[in-house]
Amino acid sequence: MIKIAKSNLLPVRQVLLIAYMTGVLWLRRNPMSLVFTAISPFSLLFVLFVVSGGQYIHFAVAGSLVMALVGYGLALGQDISFYKTEYKVQDVFVASPVSPLTYMVGLALSELLFGLPALIVLATLVVYFGSVFSIPLLVATILLIWGAMSALGFFLSSHMLHMRNATQVISFVNVILAVIPPVFYSIDIMPEALQPLAYAVPTTHASLMLQDIMNIPIPADWSLEFGFAVQVAYLLAFVILAKTRALWREN
Amino acid sequence: MLAIDAVNVTKIYRNSSHPAVKDLSLKVEAGKIFTLLGRNGAGKTTFVRMCATQLLPTSGTINVLGYEAVTQARHVRDLISIVPQEGRPLRALTPWDHVYNWLQIRGDSKSEARDKTEIMLRKLEIYGARDIPAMNLSGGMKQKILVAMAMATDAQLLFLDEPTIGLDPVSRRQVWTAIKDWKRKGGSILLTTHYMDEAEMLSDYIVIIDNGMIVAQGTIQELRRIIPQNIRVDIARDTLDVNTLKSYGSVVDTGAGMLRIFTFESAVHELSDLALRHNLSFTVSSVTLDDVFVYIMGNGIVDDQNRKE
Repeated sequence: MIKIAKSNLLPVRQVLLIAYMTGVLWLRRNPMSLVFTAISPFSLLFVLFVVSGGQYIHFAVAGSLVMALVGYGLALGQDISFYKTEYKVQDVFVASPVSPLTYMVGLALSELLFGLPALIVLATLVVYFGSVFSIPLLVATILLIWGAMSALGFFLSSHMLHMRNATQVISFVNVILAVIPPVFYSIDIMPEALQPLAYAVPTTHASLMLQDIMNIPIPADWSLEFGFAVQVAYLLAFVILAKTRALWREN
Repeated sequence: MLAIDAVNVTKIYRNSSHPAVKDLSLKVEAGKIFTLLGRNGAGKTTFVRMCATQLLPTSGTINVLGYEAVTQARHVRDLISIVPQEGRPLRALTPWDHVYNWLQIRGDSKSEARDKTEIMLRKLEIYGARDIPAMNLSGGMKQKILVAMAMATDAQLLFLDEPTIGLDPVSRRQVWTAIKDWKRKGGSILLTTHYMDEAEMLSDYIVIIDNGMIVAQGTIQELRRIIPQNIRVDIARDTLDVNTLKSYGSVVDTGAGMLRIFTFESAVHELSDLALRHNLSFTVSSVTLDDVFVYIMGNGIVDDQNRKE
C-alpha cells in the first residue's frame, strides 16, 4: 500500500475540487438553480424601490448585497447540515485527509458560485452609484462578510443534529444579522441608545462601507477604517470559532 | 503489526445513561478482514466510527495503524477510508465524478486518479454507467459508488459499515471480490454486516457484540464450535412433538413452520426416519455462522439446556 503523497498545495486543490463537485458540476446539470438563487436577493430591493419611488435605491442596493452575502454564507450551514445528516458526506470527509477548514471553504466557494449572477448585478449597481476606483474596497467588503458568515454557518450547522434545527436556527440568525440592524436603512434613523448595539453587528459595518462607496453620507463618528477593522475582527473570530469549536468529530 | 488496538473503550452518548459501547477491547491484525457482527443497535457502528476518528470515545484508548485515534487523528485519517452506513452519493454527480474527484482530493494526480477510477468502476461493473448522474441510478448502483470511492484509494485500512446493503446477489459478489483483492494487496478491513454468508465468505476473524460488549469472538471454525452439535436438521413442524425433538439436541423455531435441531451426526439417521415416518420434508447440513449468531443471541431457542453460557 502506498502512503498518500501530501504537498502544501493539497488543501488548495481540495478546496477547488470540493467547490467543483458541489457547485460547478451541480450547476452544469441543473442550470435553473442559478436562476432561482439569483432572483431572491432582488425581492427587497424591488419592494423598497417601488415603495420609495426610487428614493431608497442606494440603501436597497447596499442592503440587498449584504443580505445576499449573509444568505449565501449561512446557506452553507444548511448545506453542511444536509450533507451530514442526509448523505453522510461529512462522515466520508472526516475520515480522510481533508481538514474541517478546507471542507468549509470548499463548500462556501460553491455557495458563492450559486449566488454569482446576483452578486455581479448588485456589485455592478454599487460601482454604478459609486466609482470604479472603489472596486477593491467593494471586493474586500464582499469577501469579509461572506467569509465571516460562512464560518458562522459552518460552526452553527456542526452543532445541529437535524436538518430542521439547522434551517430554523439559520433563518433566525439571518433575521438578526440582515434584517433588524441598519442594513437596509440609515443608522441615523435608529434611537441613539440603540446605535452602539447596531455597531456591534458586522453587517452594519458592511452596509455602511457600501453606503460610503455609493457616496451616501455616513455618520460622523464612523470611519471606513473602523468598519474595516470590525469586519476583519469578526472574520477572524468566526474562523477561529469554526476551526476550534465546530464539531468535526462528533462527541 | 496491529491495524486497530482498542483498549477498554466505552462510549456513552449525550443525553443517555446507557453505554453504546462498554469497556470493549479488541485487536485487529493488519492485513486481515475483521468482521463485527451484532443485532441492530449492538454498538457496531459506534465502534467503527470511533476507530475511524468520526466519534470521540468517552473513555479508553484506540490505536489505529500505530497512531492514537483521538490525539493523532490527522495521521490516522491519511491512512484510512470508509463506506459509511446509509450513505448516499450526491444526486447530480456521476459515478466517475465521485471516484475521480475524490481520489484527487485525497492527493492522487489526475492520471493516477483516472487509472484507478477506471479500474475500480470496471471491477464493480459500474463503468457502463460512469456518466449517468446518481439520481438516475438504482439503489444498488448508488451503494456501489460509495464502495468504489473507498476502495479506489491507497488507504491502508478500510472501514466498511454494511457495504453491501441493498445490493443484489451478483453485485454483492463483485464487492466481495474487490474486498478480497484489497486484502491480497496487503490492506486491512474492519467490516460490519448483517449478512452471515458475507461474514463467512470474507472474514479472517469475527467478533459478535451485543449491548456494546463482546459476547463471542474467533475464527469461523472457532465460532462454529460454540454450538456443541455440528449438524443441523431443518424439519417441517407440522404434527411433530417438540419434546420428542428435544431429545436429539437444541431446538430452534426458525419460523415459517420449520424447526431446526442442532444435533450430532449419530442422530441424523434417527431424525431422518422420524421425518419420513411422518411424511415431512427435511434438510441436513453443517452448522453455519447464521446458526451460531442466532444461538448466541438466544432468539427462538426452544430448548436451551445444551446452550453454553
